[in-house]
Amino acid sequence: MIKASRFAILGSVAALALLAAGCGGGGGSSSSSTSSTSGGGGKKGGTLNTVANAAPSGSPDPQINYTLQEWQLLIMTHDGLVAFKRVGGPDGFKLVPDLATSIPAPTDGGKTYKFTLRKGIKFSDGSTLDPQDVLSTFERLFKIKQSPNAGTWYAGIVGADACLKKPETCDLSKGVVIDKAANTVTFHLSKADPEFLDQLAVPFAFILPSSTPDKEVQIPPAGTGPYKWATYNPNSQIKLVRNPNFKVWSADAQPAGNPDVIVQKFGLSTEAEVTAVENGQADWMFDPPPSDRLTEMSTKYTSQVHINPLTAVWYYAMNVRIPPFNNLKARQAVNYAVDHDALVKIYGGPKLATPTCQILPPNFPGYEPYCPYTKNPGSGKWTAPDMAKAQQLMNESGQKGQSVDVITDTIEQDKAHGEYFVGLLNKLGFKAKLKALSPDLQYPYVQNSKNKPQFSWSSWYQDYPAASDFINILLGCGSYHPNSNASPNISEYCVKSTQDKIDQALNTQVTSQTKANQQWAQIDKILVNQAVWVPMFNPKYLDFVSKRVTGYQFSPQWYFLLDQASVAG
Amino acid sequence: MAEFAYEPEPELSLGPGERAEAVAGQSPWRLAARRLWRNRVAMAGLVLFLLIVLVSFLAPVYANHIAHTDALQPNVNGTTVVNGKTVEVIQQGGGPLGLGENPIGPTWQTNYFIGADQNGRDVAARVLYGGRSSLLIGIGSALIACLIATIIGLIAGFFRGLTDSALSRLMDLIWAFPVYLLAITLSTVLLTTNGLQWGPIHLDASSLWIPTIIIGVIYVPYVMRPVRGQVLSVREKEFVDAAIAQGASNWRLVFSEILPNIITAVIVLLPLMIATTILTEAALSYLSIGVQPPNASWGTIIQDGQALLYTRPWVAIAPGIMIVLTVLSLNLLGDGVRDALDPRAKVRLRK
Amino acid sequence: MATFIIRRLTWAVIVTLVITILVFLLFFKTPGIDPARQMAGRNPDPQTIAAIKHEFGLDRSLPVQYALMMKRMFISRDLISYQYHNKVIPQLVDAAPVTFSLVLGASILWIVGAIVIGVAAAVLRGTIFDPLLMVISLIGISIPVFWLGEVANLITQDRLHDSVFSWVPPLGYVPLTQDPWQWFLHLVIPWFVLSVLYIGFYARVLRANLIETEGEDYVRTARAKGISEERVMFRHTLRTSLITFVSLFGLDFGILVAGSTLLVEVVFNLHGIGYLTYNSLTRLDLPVIMATVIYGAIFIVFANAIVDILYARLDPRVRPT
Repeated sequence: MIKASRFAILGSVAALALLAAGCGGGGGSSSSSTSSTSGGGGKKGGTLNTVANAAPSGSPDPQINYTLQEWQLLIMTHDGLVAFKRVGGPDGFKLVPDLATSIPAPTDGGKTYKFTLRKGIKFSDGSTLDPQDVLSTFERLFKIKQSPNAGTWYAGIVGADACLKKPETCDLSKGVVIDKAANTVTFHLSKADPEFLDQLAVPFAFILPSSTPDKEVQIPPAGTGPYKWATYNPNSQIKLVRNPNFKVWSADAQPAGNPDVIVQKFGLSTEAEVTAVENGQADWMFDPPPSDRLTEMSTKYTSQVHINPLTAVWYYAMNVRIPPFNNLKARQAVNYAVDHDALVKIYGGPKLATPTCQILPPNFPGYEPYCPYTKNPGSGKWTAPDMAKAQQLMNESGQKGQSVDVITDTIEQDKAHGEYFVGLLNKLGFKAKLKALSPDLQYPYVQNSKNKPQFSWSSWYQDYPAASDFINILLGCGSYHPNSNASPNISEYCVKSTQDKIDQALNTQVTSQTKANQQWAQIDKILVNQAVWVPMFNPKYLDFVSKRVTGYQFSPQWYFLLDQASVAG
Repeated sequence: MAEFAYEPEPELSLGPGERAEAVAGQSPWRLAARRLWRNRVAMAGLVLFLLIVLVSFLAPVYANHIAHTDALQPNVNGTTVVNGKTVEVIQQGGGPLGLGENPIGPTWQTNYFIGADQNGRDVAARVLYGGRSSLLIGIGSALIACLIATIIGLIAGFFRGLTDSALSRLMDLIWAFPVYLLAITLSTVLLTTNGLQWGPIHLDASSLWIPTIIIGVIYVPYVMRPVRGQVLSVREKEFVDAAIAQGASNWRLVFSEILPNIITAVIVLLPLMIATTILTEAALSYLSIGVQPPNASWGTIIQDGQALLYTRPWVAIAPGIMIVLTVLSLNLLGDGVRDALDPRAKVRLRK
Repeated sequence: MATFIIRRLTWAVIVTLVITILVFLLFFKTPGIDPARQMAGRNPDPQTIAAIKHEFGLDRSLPVQYALMMKRMFISRDLISYQYHNKVIPQLVDAAPVTFSLVLGASILWIVGAIVIGVAAAVLRGTIFDPLLMVISLIGISIPVFWLGEVANLITQDRLHDSVFSWVPPLGYVPLTQDPWQWFLHLVIPWFVLSVLYIGFYARVLRANLIETEGEDYVRTARAKGISEERVMFRHTLRTSLITFVSLFGLDFGILVAGSTLLVEVVFNLHGIGYLTYNSLTRLDLPVIMATVIYGAIFIVFANAIVDILYARLDPRVRPT
């Protein structure tokens, strides 16, 4: 199950080609797309039948929903001022102008962005896009009160703090200055934010008609994209149909879609979904397929399987403030003892995951291979566990006999990983027990220091390609809130010297990305040496499509580009 | 046209040269025991059941001395010897993409007799370990349900009126209560608070008492209704009136007159209840709210098997077969017990 | 009879009320359950959590929250779910016919099946067929229903889908009003799977009761009077044997329609009450849980009342209490 519900991918302005090396895992396999010409090609017509186990969780309101599942659909129905280029391959991280005619360079010390809107773009309800819609969209972001990132990402807009205090009367006319005659929109920020453009390219900032009510809606409102939302019933299906008012203005930003109708039906188990795709009853399944079908899929349906790398990591966080893992040697012992191959095997095999010893994923700014917790360290890659060293460290630590609760969730795979670790910890001399909580409960539970979580499973998928997104959010002092279940720093790690280095790297980023990357790599090494986690592996993404689907493209930002595939002919 | 024949017990007819002597009377229970002993089908059921119990409790012996495998510890990277060759317990999938990791299937040898599960554990050994949990929970909860239901049914049926109303409505309440919610919240509470402590009794989330008590309590209404119905019927019979005329107290009426006459109903229901409780335990464990790790039960193994159903169906089939055999044996035994206890068994109806 | 009905209705309301209070308390007193945090998503800022708490009244005291929820459920009928923020009552209204179709078809199958097998076994007592039929029934009782469903899917959707079972449509439900033939086809396999457990159980119960009644005096009298076997069976023994049958059936039917079909619905992708219950439980979506619990409780108490009435009619010695 893709755990990332947070998918604001803010491409770094320096736009490193993160996935250049990542495309197409393993020779000869039918994995990801090559970076093709931007979309719009392919036969038009037909209905793309997709299936998912459940509807995207949370409100369907585009300014509230934070799931990949819904974002993959929203990009086909709505547009922002700028967009991530709608292609597969590393170009998918580039920003291109969408509703704006061009991407402006910020002025006034990086605090002002002036956009000119394109003319003649219509919403699916017939109204024409004008600057008032932009202003209303951003005011609505605050007025509905439930937008997850209003207070963080968009708080830099002038007037936003007043809006946060009194949302009902939100007035952003000073921060989002519109000129109807000139058809321009000018943003004024309170301070420079190199990530602002990326924040404009995610669905929270997609432009809605000014007639949209200021309360949460039950179905996304009219948009400017090639499709519009016809049905949204979380207990049965989502249906998107063509927007008759759409004309292509930029194939890079918003190409024409191929299928006439896109449907997503809910309720099937993942096993049943695989069967449906194999039988041609469905064209694509959103959920990852269960591991027991993988061999069948890869032997009988090889050309229908697509594997792409992800910048993500699965790990177990060790609580550094309570026994036994407040002891460094005990933490290191576990890292030496863990058999990453076994973990990868449970996940589905080396084709679907790569072992890792560190925080940052490969092909990420600041990543330098580093793995001291292996037999014959030095190459930076993990090869085999070193049980002897682990036992030695355990003896020195004096933590033998301590009881440990291994906290994971009830999903089959996660439970299997948990049982593996229970066995491992017992072998090292702990008294380990498994605690498998329901997935909805587990994540908030392990974040709350009140529960004294000692050894907790978690995963992290990038929001945007910046090392701070991993290191600062997951291990920074600012992310540790005692006794709160919204405290992403599960290890509860907060050391002044490390935090100083993090702050320094953040500052360096503004001037030199390369220097900053070196600093991030250093911090990564420090954290690994402190053994704050037991990193497990970096997973890959698997898409399974039906036989009739052609034109599969995988964007590093939006994953499978649904409307760029063809089902006709 | 039906006819009936009276078949006297062989011992009661005089052989040549024998004289009638005073014979000590035999209690109905001894007669019943003898009838049961002679019922071959019921005895077969009893033997099968005892065999299953024995085998389940000898699980460690099987795992350590016969199969030489581990049923409890994950063994993801382990190897084993099949037909002289050493193979990995979990093997990488084939095909051009090499996707997937599959546990080995049945070897039909002492090690990994019916294969491995996703954690590389020996399923055959695990099924035996699981039997211990399932049997304990199934039998325990059925006994709890029948015991409590009999008491409540007796009281309700005997006293009628307001008592009966109140108890029946209480049963409605229990029956209507969302059991899954109770099980989920209870197991969540126990998981998140490291168990309950009542004086010397410590119950943590993995204790088998939790599912036993939950399942026992929820089936009380199910048994109570037929018991109450029987009590209502028996209450009207003449011998009860006769006892009342003799001046019997309520206690005596309930326990000496009514109870023996309804007990057969409960005894007949008991094996059926064990069947139901074992299946309910399987359902709760399947939803991860029954037996918790590190314990395994047939239900949790079926749950493990769901994820392997398309490739290694034996992981799900084997515990299912054990459930069938256990329930079958219990019911055969139960039928025999019912036949043995029927006081009119001397009279056989024949067509 | 009228007092009986009124009394039962009052009890139904009281029982439902008590259950909803218990469910409410259970939900909010369980540590780790924090609906506002859950709704806020993966990494919310504190203002969002606070705003959500306020929007949904989660910062009020428990009795107030309870009252608000009941008001939204019954009076203004605009109770919305925590999970998707859509209205709860229409979800229930859409789900009820699905469960009802499933249970109705299955119960017809199992009543007919149980009577046939139970009577046959009692009549054929002494021959090989009696134990044979009972063993078959036993196997039916012993199979976990969710397991059987999965195996049925494996066979009909995968292994034999291209040959014997090509007529089986993809998993799901089609409303009767939309396409009666498809409605039927989609439900055939689920009907059989659901009824297997109950056929076995009821056949055995019926057989046991039939055999016991055969020993009764009035049956002997009937036979002595010269009444034919069929009449003895159907007018005399069957009727009294149905007492246990009816009381158990009432309980089972009630609880099934109330949502105990959960596992079958999940396995066959039928979005009925059980499916709704299961989803709301795993996601801890309290408004939907409450709605399904109330629906279930009312139905069960209702079914019990009907069973008691029928029981009184079948056995005149008993008056409904």
